[in-house]
Amino acid sequence: MSKKVFLLISLMVIFATILAACGTPATPTADSSQPQSPTVAGEQPAKKVTLRVLVHQNPPMVEFMEAFNKQFQDRYPNITVDMSVVNANDLSTVSQTRFSANDIDVLDIFGFANGAQPYMKQVDPPNWQQLIEAGLLMDLTGQDFLQYYDTPTINDAGSYNGKVYAVNLGRVIYSGIYYNKALFEQYNVKVPTTWPELVAACETFKGAGIPCMTAGGKDGWPIFVGAYGLIGSIYPDQEALVEGLWTGKIKWNDEKSLEMWRKMQVYARDMMEEGASGIAGDAAPGRFASGAVAMFPGGSWYAPAIEAAQPDFDWGYIPFPGSDNPEDNKYWFGKYDQGWAIANNTLNKEAALLYLKEFSEPANYQAFVDAVGFIPTQPTAKLNTKIGAEIAPYLANFRVGYEQYWVAPKGAGQYANPWASYFKPFGTFDDPVELANKVQEDLQAGLDAVK
Amino acid sequence: MSYHFGRGWSKLTPYLLLLPGLFFYFLISLGPSIATGFFSFTDATGIKGAPIRWIGLDNYREFLFMGRASLDNLDALKRTLIFSFVVTTVQFTLGLIVALIVNQKLKFTNIFRTIYFMPVILGVVIQGLMWSLFLYPLGGPVAKFLALFGMRSEFLGGQPTEAFAWVIFVQIWANLGITMMIFIAGLQTIPSELYEAARIDGANTWQVFKNVTWPLLTPSVNTNLLLNAIGSLQAWQLFLVLVGYRNGTQVLGYLIYATGFGQTSGSVTTSFRQGYAAAASIVLFLLVLVIGLTLQTFLQRREKRILG
Repeated sequence: MSKKVFLLISLMVIFATILAACGTPATPTADSSQPQSPTVAGEQPAKKVTLRVLVHQNPPMVEFMEAFNKQFQDRYPNITVDMSVVNANDLSTVSQTRFSANDIDVLDIFGFANGAQPYMKQVDPPNWQQLIEAGLLMDLTGQDFLQYYDTPTINDAGSYNGKVYAVNLGRVIYSGIYYNKALFEQYNVKVPTTWPELVAACETFKGAGIPCMTAGGKDGWPIFVGAYGLIGSIYPDQEALVEGLWTGKIKWNDEKSLEMWRKMQVYARDMMEEGASGIAGDAAPGRFASGAVAMFPGGSWYAPAIEAAQPDFDWGYIPFPGSDNPEDNKYWFGKYDQGWAIANNTLNKEAALLYLKEFSEPANYQAFVDAVGFIPTQPTAKLNTKIGAEIAPYLANFRVGYEQYWVAPKGAGQYANPWASYFKPFGTFDDPVELANKVQEDLQAGLDAVK
Repeated sequence: MSYHFGRGWSKLTPYLLLLPGLFFYFLISLGPSIATGFFSFTDATGIKGAPIRWIGLDNYREFLFMGRASLDNLDALKRTLIFSFVVTTVQFTLGLIVALIVNQKLKFTNIFRTIYFMPVILGVVIQGLMWSLFLYPLGGPVAKFLALFGMRSEFLGGQPTEAFAWVIFVQIWANLGITMMIFIAGLQTIPSELYEAARIDGANTWQVFKNVTWPLLTPSVNTNLLLNAIGSLQAWQLFLVLVGYRNGTQVLGYLIYATGFGQTSGSVTTSFRQGYAAAASIVLFLLVLVIGLTLQTFLQRREKRILG
């Protein structure tokens, strides 16, 4: 029997050894408190390496990245790019878990936003700040490729405490409406520049049996993202709006805001097509391009997908006309979208820097913005795209939008946001006053809790 | 009673055999549970290398008592209980009925068993995608069926109560097969002589079920009730796949996931708050513990009373 016990113990030792061998290999961890010797992007590594890249789902961008990765690998045969694609909603979650597993070299990171302001109390730092303070993002300050990007981008969308941690690749607009030119012409509808004109246009199309607007409501936020333009037309200074809400100078149920809620109800109830809540975010551009609907409120990033779905489809893009005064409807609201950051403890530092350097080469960057329709953050890049031509007339009026500034106070209720999707048929509310009171009540509960 | 593992060191054999199982139990289950309890008293973000500070009961205070958010959390708690109660009772009842039917000596019984069990082997994502397509409001099969009666719905993207009801339905559909299989296993352990004796004594179908099948199914009843109740209290994946993070639909499990992993809406940045999520997890754990223990005590007493 003792032989059996010996055999059993031996088996367990072997089993434990196999388990240990399956573990993650020890990796050198970077001490963020110590200055790192700067590595500057240069030649490819002498040994073969695999560069792990994480990006968020955006079909034209993913298509471009696949082509770029091939080009990069052809030029640097010692580097193999292993790119993962995740839904935009899951990007921060996946980034966090892959940082924990030391399983990431280059990551897609949205422009730095939602930072704590002096008038905000007891707010947690946003996740990009948490990543920097934990020493997980590499300091890119001084890298040669940064010279290609404009200074406001470097400062506003990728820097913290005077150091650069991300390079942002483009601004996008989310307060516009795509419209079907053929349908507008066929039904003799004027392109709306005011709210009453928009309402009238929708009534005409609905009268003809054509849904007025569509959106990718299955993903949640696309159903109300277009209506950010409506907020913008009423509160053009979005940073001041956030401060006003925190300090109590603006309330979601004051007279000015009530105008916004009334219009949002019309948007959700009368303008959006029935069933929009079931359309996936990346399927909505195809539905619009099919010609089935007259308009599509959404971000400028959808343009390449519309073109890919129906190359001959003729469309235009206008600022959301939320105000009765056309002069108030000449603004674009948007954000800094995708950017690149490098994991501080990557074992492939040279390859990662080379990847960003190669990507930032003006010719490659121009191809990128042409493919994805971003507003370039490299001053030498041109707006060659159709969407570029559409947004150019009001580009000087670009403003960073509300959601990029907003941080909810702890204790605020779940309705403390200006979202049109709270209205029926997507939500439960049928009365703008009741909803406005509910939103303000939920916000006020948080403000009172952190006093 | 003789000891089967010999003498001397050999006596340790059964304990050594238990070690791998215990190792994995500590590694995968108990260890993380204890760590969750610890993290619930900290401001841990879950980010590797980030400092962790002891903040006492602050997370619990915020979760249970701070502002309107705490009332929303309690609503999620209530919704979790409703979800668990409806799923447990309906899944249990349907599972029993289906098991009784497919346990008959009929043609194609095995095919029906396979059909009922098939959803179990699909992953949650596949289950969610399938039902998203069935419930597609723009011309999906269910929408077309409703249209025959002049009705329409946004289904999963519409009224929160309706979306919640659909998740309950899909949860039951997805797990009915397990309940059915446990009942079938129980039914097949009941000696056929007992049925024959009952029939000879003149018992009708209901009396046979009430006096033979039901009492002797007690172990399967207990297993199913506990599995259904605990499983449904912890369920959250279908909410993620089918409806996402929407007001009026969250259950506690999903709330924990969304908070702990900084789940965002589009590109809106949120914070990673695993300490806070850990506190919410402990609340859920206590809920499961109280309901699970109460149910188990009740079921064990019942089993003892019936089977001796």
